[in-house]
Amino acid sequence: MPPIVSIVDVVKEYRLGKVVVPALQGVSLEVHPGEFISVAGPSGSGKTTLLNLIGCVDTATRGQVSVGGNDTGKLSERQLTSLRLDTIGFIFQSFNLVSVLTVYQNVELPLLLARRLDSAERRGRVNGLLEQVGIASHERHRPSELSGGQRQRVAVARALVTEPKLVLADEPTANLDSATGQNIIDLMKEMNRRKGTTFIFSTHDPKVMEHANAVIRLSDGRIAGRDLPRGPAEARA
Amino acid sequence: MLLLIAARSLWQHKLRSSLLGAAIASVTALLLVLTGISVAMRETILRAATTLMTGHVNVGGFFKVTAGQSAPVVTSYGKVMELAKREVPELDYAVVRGRGWAKLISDTGSMMVGVGGVDIDEEPGFREAVMVPEGRLDELRRPGTILIFREQAKKLGVKVGDTLTVSAPTFRGVNNTVDVTVVAIAADLGLLSSFNTFMPSDTLRALYQLKEDSTGVIQLYLRDREAVPKVESRLREVLARGGFQVMGADPRPFWEKFESVNREAWTGQRLDVTNWEDETAFVKFSVTLVTALSVAVTVVLLIIICVGIMNVMWISIRERTREIGTLRAIGMQRRTVLAMFVGEGALLGLAGTGFGAALGLLAAAAIDAARIPVPLGVQFFLMTDHLTVSPTPFWVAFAVCFITGAITLVSLFPSFLAARMKPITAIHHVG
Ligand SMILES: Nc1ncnc2c1ncn2[C@@H]1O[C@H](COP(=O)(O)OP(=O)(O)OP(=O)(O)O)[C@@H](O)[C@H]1O
Ligand SMILES: [Mg+2]
Repeated sequence: MPPIVSIVDVVKEYRLGKVVVPALQGVSLEVHPGEFISVAGPSGSGKTTLLNLIGCVDTATRGQVSVGGNDTGKLSERQLTSLRLDTIGFIFQSFNLVSVLTVYQNVELPLLLARRLDSAERRGRVNGLLEQVGIASHERHRPSELSGGQRQRVAVARALVTEPKLVLADEPTANLDSATGQNIIDLMKEMNRRKGTTFIFSTHDPKVMEHANAVIRLSDGRIAGRDLPRGPAEARA
Repeated sequence: MLLLIAARSLWQHKLRSSLLGAAIASVTALLLVLTGISVAMRETILRAATTLMTGHVNVGGFFKVTAGQSAPVVTSYGKVMELAKREVPELDYAVVRGRGWAKLISDTGSMMVGVGGVDIDEEPGFREAVMVPEGRLDELRRPGTILIFREQAKKLGVKVGDTLTVSAPTFRGVNNTVDVTVVAIAADLGLLSSFNTFMPSDTLRALYQLKEDSTGVIQLYLRDREAVPKVESRLREVLARGGFQVMGADPRPFWEKFESVNREAWTGQRLDVTNWEDETAFVKFSVTLVTALSVAVTVVLLIIICVGIMNVMWISIRERTREIGTLRAIGMQRRTVLAMFVGEGALLGLAGTGFGAALGLLAAAAIDAARIPVPLGVQFFLMTDHLTVSPTPFWVAFAVCFITGAITLVSLFPSFLAARMKPITAIHHVG
């Protein structure tokens, strides 16, 4: 099977006035469909930068980033946006729900942007997902009326509603207590198993890493290693 | 959904939105009231002028004994009247008026005025256009009487029952005078009334030593005002064919034409066909002035509002930068973001102007009902002694569309910048 993400010799430099901050210094990586991958590394090692490049919300200084077989460097802003809409789901550290919309509307939004389903199909899809993430009883609430864990469940549902091949999550549990964080990771894992969606998530938390099929270790903008997570064997299943 | 987000975002900042909406509403209402005033002016002018000093179409003219001496006279008007009645099926009714330009002399002052010769019993419309709080209009039936307007009465220092001397050059070139009694003092009609007085036709004929079959002008009133241009040109043709000398079209009131007529070499009778707009051309500028003033005031206010809108859009966009970033990240296209924010501006504009239109219509009705008196100086321009406002569907539609359009337009710029932000910078925006 062709890789869903393929990164070749990617360099990312941030320019702060005259200072050039190297965030990624020659990273190459392949991720295959159905993988559940964790990106780990100390603060400032380039985890967020890497996910942003894969998520097509930022562009590499040098090197090639391909998502779903598309060389993102060759796509226009419009095509990149369409790629994000169709192929990628995002889960953010601080949830980033639209505050003026209800839970239901937040989840429905990507479907409306995609304009592929009619309203009955949309309703079925959204309700099904709200059930699966266990938030169906709160569908009329605004995000501000929910707890952090509940909000992240909504975010998971929103990321999955278009049935993307790839879901990116930058520290999805960092703003949650460890039990709730565990919960969200379990939810992601379940979706990965059920739908075969590829997940790439970054984390500091070794407990969270344990659930991954593979851990990519970043250090100073380079890949320090790609290995199986250490931890209880059953978590690897 | 876009509109939902826009509407809910406005709703979330109720205070800010409602302040801005109220400002938009006030400007809309103001525009409606101001334009309503200028429309009302036009109507007043039309109504008052078309009874006081002009028909829809007029057949007047000049008679010259010598080349340099003209009088605003139509001799043997019977034949003209006959022709008009036969050739103008659009005619509702016609009246005959004497015309003069004379000096009014009282014990304490004098002034030049136009003098209309009326047969008050033949003109029921006259009573509706002229309000006579002092004296009685019916008395104008008696020979040797005059109706003047309040301001003229004040200048001349006369009351009802006083005597005035009217002096004018006859068309033979000698000055003639008659003494008349002030029997009615009418409420002012601004510019329309300041140059006008009325005497019984026979008294005016006596002043000018005219024969019974002479008059100043035949005023034709049509059933449909739209027919004016057609009737006007047809009359010119028909009169010329009927053996009359007809002057070329000249959009000025008759009393502005003496000089040019006097310079021309011809003698005898010439007819002049004019319409109501020609005869009231001298008041046009004040309508234009009021309209221009209204538009100018509105535009200035609108600019202020637009700056406000821009600012609010900036704030709104700054506050929602992260949201914009999120939306872009999950796949919202730039033009959709643009549409969302422009939609927000348009929505605010529409709500504001809609509310403002309702407010303006209410205000207009209230102002009309209150019969607010107009200060003297302003009366001159408004041509009425109390404020009337006639908002028209055109101006309502114009105000709503124009102001909403302007607001949408200014919200375009900040929205454009919002849409152009890189999703990543937007997402990581703090605040
Ligand atoms: N917008 C930016 N402008 C300048 N430098 C940046 C920017 N974003 C990140 N960097 C720098 O790039 C490097 C990598 O940052 P990145 O955010 O990818 O690290 P991270 O692994 O996600 O860290 P953390 O665990 O703290 O989230 C850091 O040195 C950081 O200072
Ligand atoms: Mg990070």
